[in-house]
Amino acid sequence: MISLPRVLIVDDTAFMRKLLRNILFSGGFDIVGEAENGKQAVEMYKQLKPDLVMLDIVMPEMNGIEALKAIKQIDPNAKVIMCTAVGQEKIVKAAIKLGARGYIVKPFQAQKVIEEAKKVLGIS
Amino acid sequence: MTERILLKTPAEIFDNGWKSLEVILTDQNIHIGKDRISLREIEDVEKVNINGKKAIRIKKDRDVIISFPEKLYDQIFKFLAYNLKSDRFAVYFLSPATIGGVIVRDSKWEKGYLSITEEAIWFLSPSKQIRIPFKNLGSVDKDVRTVGGKERLVLVVGHVDKGEVVTSFILCPETTLEMLEDYLKRLIEKHKPEVKLTEIEEQVAVMLYSGLDSVNIENILGISTDDLNKCFDKLVDLGLARVVKIRKELELTPKGIALVNTIMKKGRR
Repeated sequence: MISLPRVLIVDDTAFMRKLLRNILFSGGFDIVGEAENGKQAVEMYKQLKPDLVMLDIVMPEMNGIEALKAIKQIDPNAKVIMCTAVGQEKIVKAAIKLGARGYIVKPFQAQKVIEEAKKVLGIS
Repeated sequence: MTERILLKTPAEIFDNGWKSLEVILTDQNIHIGKDRISLREIEDVEKVNINGKKAIRIKKDRDVIISFPEKLYDQIFKFLAYNLKSDRFAVYFLSPATIGGVIVRDSKWEKGYLSITEEAIWFLSPSKQIRIPFKNLGSVDKDVRTVGGKERLVLVVGHVDKGEVVTSFILCPETTLEMLEDYLKRLIEKHKPEVKLTEIEEQVAVMLYSGLDSVNIENILGISTDDLNKCFDKLVDLGLARVVKIRKELELTPKGIALVNTIMKKGRR
């Protein structure tokens, strides 16, 4: 049986999580979990060990940059795509420096999200 | 002052069908058959496709559409784009910087001009002539970017290109940057539709942008087809969306049900 790439979606708005879930599911990804802040994301990452994390930046409790740091400490090979409305260069650079493999600025187009996720996972 | 002829070529003009004539391009004018248009009076140009034929629309008092031989098409378009009537500012630009929210990694800064015509803004460089109609401009904001190893203030312009949202960056002296930001903001404001949407309608717009179909939108929002249709109608009425497909939903008649039963039985044999 073919196993689908497992994705953890992290965003504080339910609507964005639903939208991403729908887009990624239709692109052939298995959504293994959803978190609404960075703290939850780190906990869920430990439990689920997903192949990919779609991580928002501006969130309550723990923001996406802090969550990225924590996830990378748990698993230096973690594949994370930042998915955020924040397109400022210094934030993009900080995320890339911390090991984010991709950066998507909201609003996004479904096809681009799927392409980026596949690229990060090395799926042709 | 005498004109310097740069190019003579056979071409076709679209005027109730295609008509052959000669076009002469000089350093001051474009001669189209017997007509002459001063380059400095051209208000805008645009690449168009008329019934499968590539052509250039030249806007003056009226539109003139001319098709040139394929090998000269880009060259003539570039010449016209550089020489038409416009306000022009020397800038560095990066376009596209992002497409559909994703960073374009192989895009490079170009030295050129930001040109503002009657209908559009242009990014012009020897290798790129990017035309952005005013109606396709979405946003303009200042941001700090690293250019040539230094942190510089740039303008981030959001615009639509072939149905995708693209951002482009402009770098120029700060006084020009301020003026351009103010000018572009006023342009965007002037062309922005005055709309007030509910939260659901906003979410529907976001999902349409993402490329979701009506079935997915209904599922995500948990709303009925009727409610979604009302929402779609509002977006269409406001000029924010257009209908591209009308989906049919069917229910089988007794004759259809009987046929399906037969199909299933066939499979069992």
